[in-house]
Amino acid sequence: MSSPLKINFDKGTLILQNIPETLQTRLPDIRWDERTLTFRAPAYRYRHIVSQLRAHDIAYQDTAREFTVKSFTHEKTMSPYSYQTEAIDAWHANGKRGVVSLPTGAGKTFIAILLIADTQRPTLVHVPTIDLMNQWYTVLKEHFGQEVGLYGGGYHELKDLTVTTYQSAVMHAPYYGNRFGFAIFDECHHLPSDQYQYAAISSIAPFRLGLTATPERTDGKESRLYTLVGEPCYEAKVQELSGKTLSEYRVVTIAVEMEDTERVRYEEARRAYLNFLKQERINMGTPRGWHHFLWKASQTDEGRTAFKAYLAQKQLSFASTTKQEWVWKLIQRHRGDRILIFTQDNDTAYQLGKRFFLPVLTHQTKLKERNDFLNKFRDGTYSILVTSKVLNEGVDVPEANVGIIVSGSGSVREHVQRLGRILRKQEGKQAVLYELISKQTGEHYVNKRRRQHDAYQPSNRTPIFK
Amino acid sequence: MLTKDLLRYKTQNGQIHPQFVKPTDTTLLAIAEQLIAVFEESLDKPRATLLETSKHIIDSTPGAPIIKRGLEKLLLDRTEFDTTPNEELIAFRQKFFTETSRLLSQEQFENYADYAQAAYGLAGQCKMFGTMTEEPRSEAVPTEMEDLTAKLYEDLPSHQPILAFKTLSAEHLLHRYNTAQVQGVLLHSNSLTLKLADSMTAELRQLFKYLRFNQLLSTIRKEEELYQITVDGPLNLFYKTKRYGMNLANFFIAVLHQPRWELTAEVQFRNKQRYQLFLDESCGIKPIAQQFLAYIPEDIQLFQTMLRNKTDDWQIRPGSQFIPLPGDLYCFPDYQLVHKSGIETSIELFHPWHQGHLIARLSTLAEQRDVSLILGVSKELEKNPLIAEALAASAYFSQFGFTFRDVPTIRTLLPILNSLV
Repeated sequence: MSSPLKINFDKGTLILQNIPETLQTRLPDIRWDERTLTFRAPAYRYRHIVSQLRAHDIAYQDTAREFTVKSFTHEKTMSPYSYQTEAIDAWHANGKRGVVSLPTGAGKTFIAILLIADTQRPTLVHVPTIDLMNQWYTVLKEHFGQEVGLYGGGYHELKDLTVTTYQSAVMHAPYYGNRFGFAIFDECHHLPSDQYQYAAISSIAPFRLGLTATPERTDGKESRLYTLVGEPCYEAKVQELSGKTLSEYRVVTIAVEMEDTERVRYEEARRAYLNFLKQERINMGTPRGWHHFLWKASQTDEGRTAFKAYLAQKQLSFASTTKQEWVWKLIQRHRGDRILIFTQDNDTAYQLGKRFFLPVLTHQTKLKERNDFLNKFRDGTYSILVTSKVLNEGVDVPEANVGIIVSGSGSVREHVQRLGRILRKQEGKQAVLYELISKQTGEHYVNKRRRQHDAYQPSNRTPIFK
Repeated sequence: MLTKDLLRYKTQNGQIHPQFVKPTDTTLLAIAEQLIAVFEESLDKPRATLLETSKHIIDSTPGAPIIKRGLEKLLLDRTEFDTTPNEELIAFRQKFFTETSRLLSQEQFENYADYAQAAYGLAGQCKMFGTMTEEPRSEAVPTEMEDLTAKLYEDLPSHQPILAFKTLSAEHLLHRYNTAQVQGVLLHSNSLTLKLADSMTAELRQLFKYLRFNQLLSTIRKEEELYQITVDGPLNLFYKTKRYGMNLANFFIAVLHQPRWELTAEVQFRNKQRYQLFLDESCGIKPIAQQFLAYIPEDIQLFQTMLRNKTDDWQIRPGSQFIPLPGDLYCFPDYQLVHKSGIETSIELFHPWHQGHLIARLSTLAEQRDVSLILGVSKELEKNPLIAEALAASAYFSQFGFTFRDVPTIRTLLPILNSLV
């Protein structure tokens, strides 16, 4: 009698033994590994392989899977909105895999909570930041009333419900990738990056859910996301939910004039920077333009000067004195509101924090103080929070109703995410997002680029202040 | 290690050539010395002051800034900063921001100056800070109006003081720089192939320790007089992945200890063209890790003592040469044993993370009737049902294998050894 087919988990892959010859070409992605003299497959193919074996009625011995059915009792009684139910049904209909796209504030986390309760499998939630890790930890604990594990940011504790950062998962999934039956990828547009994809590749989890506001990537790698997590199964746009499950909102663009002295310094620095680009024939409009510039700038003293000039002109347009005056006006105009002030860089954030004596939240803020700032903002002790990029994604601050973008990148995603921070529905809430743009600077074009999203449709736009 | 912007290399005809510095370059040695001195003298000073001083050296000395910034980065990697939170300042901020938030949301100000004045006033009123009124005034809590802006976020990384710096010689720093140039390139590689002469034993042992420590897989074959070792990770079978780039970069340190070596690797930065990296011992980089060639590891010492206590017939020493296996393969054992009669044998140990290796080894030795290798398997690994079954089914293991908990014991090993005599 021949030995049974065996499947085992090894460092983010599956080792398969005793595969009948007839099956060797039919199982997805299996290859002979000369180094270990076994057949091997990427761990994420586990479900496909097992399905094939079952379909061919082939007996197998499975020592790869180290999880069993777990009962998760959902302690909070909340009813999902109709679109959340639709998303859940769509995910089930898609074979318990797939990507759900909903605008920020539309309750993606709640969908995940309901699906954890449905699937009844140990679950690993992947998130891009420590802040989101903490937020998921709190939410899971509240909803399921049981211990939740953390992996990343100094924590190394696995539980049936565990939250990890993508970065940590890439390093550790080869060791625990067989312990979870359900993998959730929050802000899953990050997943297809060169390294992060191995968090999904090294896991055998048969059930997978991707959550994002915008799955599209500028590099077009979203197809990789769909291979690893499942095809898009549900999507709702921001306009469809505005005023219903999201707050009504306005976007106000304010074109700001620079002070004369700053204008002179700006023009001088910009000229030096542009001259260097011209001299070195660097085209910043190409995908490699920025790397080309960095490389050239690092080679010579002249390049270093050009890089300093680049930083100087950028800093002047990001944080001109007039912009700071506008921040002051808007703070005064929105007395009693809950305001988030966004900047492109930490320096500007701290500059504003010091000038207006405000709490500043950046990746440099220690965890304890970071949580304290967020909690005090949520409970109203602090009415204003300044941040650079750490609040762009996911972190839940439903009380915020005013956003002021002092500076930002050209990324559509970043802009939509920032808008999303102030959109969570609250009774009678009218959200407003201000963008401060330095007139006649590179920022004008950056602003133009980031507005290419349906959230910026005409009905929500207010004419530019002159 | 060096970040990509600090790497120096040239590409030509599909080859990538890291640009090394001359470790004997007197100008560069002098600059390296200056930089090291700055780091040595910066204990207790804030990070910003250290960086300002080293920047001054970088800007005011001759030579390419990219090299000097690379040296600075390597020195920063050897520097420990005090990252302890400044609890007093954090507590101050909590209270102060509560007050400024109240001001901003409840009171109307004619202009910014009025608000700033009011906020300064609040910060200066220590009475509002509860228990702090009872305690002596601390340096960390700003009470002077002028200090407030400067001190409000004085615990940011740029203010962190330096706790320790692991110094080194200027020449050693330049060798480290050259090593880091190679490591920086290897970070973008998916595998490497190493050709080694079968000579030195302690160096080889160290190489294989690094290999295992970095969780890499290897295939060893003999090509004329050289051993060819292909090193990569499990997923390389499916993807041209740089997933193991960091492991390969770390592994390179052990390569430098070999007397004769050739290394080739395929390198790809982002989605650009692929390049071949070729290096050998003539690159002249001196080993940067401390080497304990004369040092006998503790586990071997313990094993030696235990064996001596039980029998005088066998002598044990660390693994020192490749063992040929069926199928034109080789392994590098952990221990080698010699009987007083001249009979020699070897032991290869399999720890919990060597599952794939063990399956491969059992498969390789399945048809073997003569002993070439004794297999020691961790009991932790044996807990895996697949492994337990494979061990039970292996005629070779039942004759020439044993299991161990933390370290092998002579009690389990001796019967096997005696059966060989």
